[in-house]
Amino acid sequence: MTIKLNGRIDSNNAAEIENDILAQLSGQEGAPVEIDASGLEYISSAGLRVLLRIRKNHPDMRITGVNSEVWEILDMTGFTEMIPVEKAYRVVSIEGAEEIGRGANGTIYRIDRDNVVKVYNNADALADIQHEREVAKLALILGIPTAISYDVVKVGESYGSVFELLNARSFSKILANEPERMDWCVKEYVELLGKIHSTVVPEGKLPDMKDTALAWARFMQDHLPAEAGNKLLALIGSIPHDDHMIHGDYHTKNVELQNDEVLLIDMDTLAVGHPIFELASMFNAFIGFSEYDHENIKRFQGFDFETGSTFWHKTLSAYLGTRCETKIREVEDKARIIGYTRLIRRTIVRGETETEEGREKVKMWTEELLGLLDKTDTLLFSRNELELEAATGNLDEVQLFVDERLAEVDCPPKAQMQIGVAVEEIFVNIASYAYAPDKGKATVRVEVTEDPVTVTVTFVDHGVPYDPLAKEDPDVTLPAEKREIGGLGIFMTKQIMDDVAYEYRDGQNILTLKKNL
Amino acid sequence: MLNINKTVENGKAVFALEGRLDTVTAPDLENEVMGSIEDVNELTLDFAGLDYISSAGLRVLLAAQKKMKGRGSMTVTNVNGSIMDIFEVTGFSEILTIE
Repeated sequence: MTIKLNGRIDSNNAAEIENDILAQLSGQEGAPVEIDASGLEYISSAGLRVLLRIRKNHPDMRITGVNSEVWEILDMTGFTEMIPVEKAYRVVSIEGAEEIGRGANGTIYRIDRDNVVKVYNNADALADIQHEREVAKLALILGIPTAISYDVVKVGESYGSVFELLNARSFSKILANEPERMDWCVKEYVELLGKIHSTVVPEGKLPDMKDTALAWARFMQDHLPAEAGNKLLALIGSIPHDDHMIHGDYHTKNVELQNDEVLLIDMDTLAVGHPIFELASMFNAFIGFSEYDHENIKRFQGFDFETGSTFWHKTLSAYLGTRCETKIREVEDKARIIGYTRLIRRTIVRGETETEEGREKVKMWTEELLGLLDKTDTLLFSRNELELEAATGNLDEVQLFVDERLAEVDCPPKAQMQIGVAVEEIFVNIASYAYAPDKGKATVRVEVTEDPVTVTVTFVDHGVPYDPLAKEDPDVTLPAEKREIGGLGIFMTKQIMDDVAYEYRDGQNILTLKKNL
Repeated sequence: MLNINKTVENGKAVFALEGRLDTVTAPDLENEVMGSIEDVNELTLDFAGLDYISSAGLRVLLAAQKKMKGRGSMTVTNVNGSIMDIFEVTGFSEILTIE
């Protein structure tokens, strides 16, 4: 039963209105009542007493459509704590408003100089709005700079949430209009990403991205050859649980520059999980979505495919702290596996395979995915580990990678050269003998431990068991004409490192170098 | 990366090296040195711009030293501290003439 209240209710008309309401409710004692206050302008204490008397026979009463003046009265008198009261939603128009962001669940428009509204796609979005408010609050408390909505409004048939966002510009806009600021954008964007990924989220507060990705992988079982499908499931299944935050839709329209502050917006996809999930969605945003049709990114981000590709590459390089192409490609390939899985599923679920273009896309991504699955054994990655073909031609990549790690710990030049020499001697040794005449891979891992500061470089290969340390040291006191050069590299390595150790374990040659700084 | 600046004049050859002398670059230096010291009796390797040497580089030095033996002198100049350490560890400081 709904009772509509209009105009002003005070001691002059309270008795009359009470009689009117009682007449409407006669014979319905105990039935729930909704008081529609959308036409109510003012209510005095006489009017409030009327509501209380009615509530005695109708304990299940709620008041809806309350404007802000009436809300003040209800709030001050304690009514809002006794009776469920729903505010009226302010109506906001987005006609002619600039679109400044777009996410999975909604689109963000600027409604005036200081405010933006996020309009949700889902018509029944109040729960979504509540969710986004909660996660944005959580993120803010955990130290992530973000905007929190202060009002829920009605935009046409949809709901929207309003945020204060003064003079803000998205990174997409900066990239589109000021290409010379790309490197600055990369730096800020990666810094914020690092902050998100180093934030630990209390258990149970956010969904686990792994669950979502596992659901995608299960979906893919019907669309991939059995072996590939199983491998995809196993790869995602073996990613360990990670309680660090991921944004889930971290592209440049969701990062805003407000005065000098970088803000993260569109928080509804916030989750916990391994950073590879984040990198996968970033790959999609900059490359994947537009791989078939390069114009796509222009429509979505406002900059062209080449700008997006360059930004992505620089971002990944800065995020991993390396210019080593082998390393960047390794991590990108892992991200692509999850990225393509998501794209293929999305395209099929949306029924886009009804069209020729949709089928072409799925075919292209599936081929890429099968190729990647074939050569990938794990989706995990470490900033400190480089896997590459054991070939002398890759020495520069190895040296670059090791030098970058050393630069992060202020390694003195002399120690840096000594570590470089040792790394070269060992890597060249592996490249020359481990797999000859075939080819194979080697892994180089750099770890730094404190107190005293020690650099440990570990080499792992799957070649023939060989202990280079077992070889007899050369006599370095011989004159030039009697000198043999063989064995000198390993001898030098032993001399200039503080510890060199070899072991053969689980089919792997493992050689460890240690240097105290 | 290794840059080799070569000047040959009146039987005197100077190779000024810049960069890294490692597995990748040592063959370049070996080709340059071995190919141009037939008529040289004074060979100088200027290490002022060199900041790295590995055993592959030492191997070239040893080969050049052997080749110069009996026909003249070989001198290595402007060696930095880190490279000098390598020479000492490997006994090359005894073999080479270092200025």
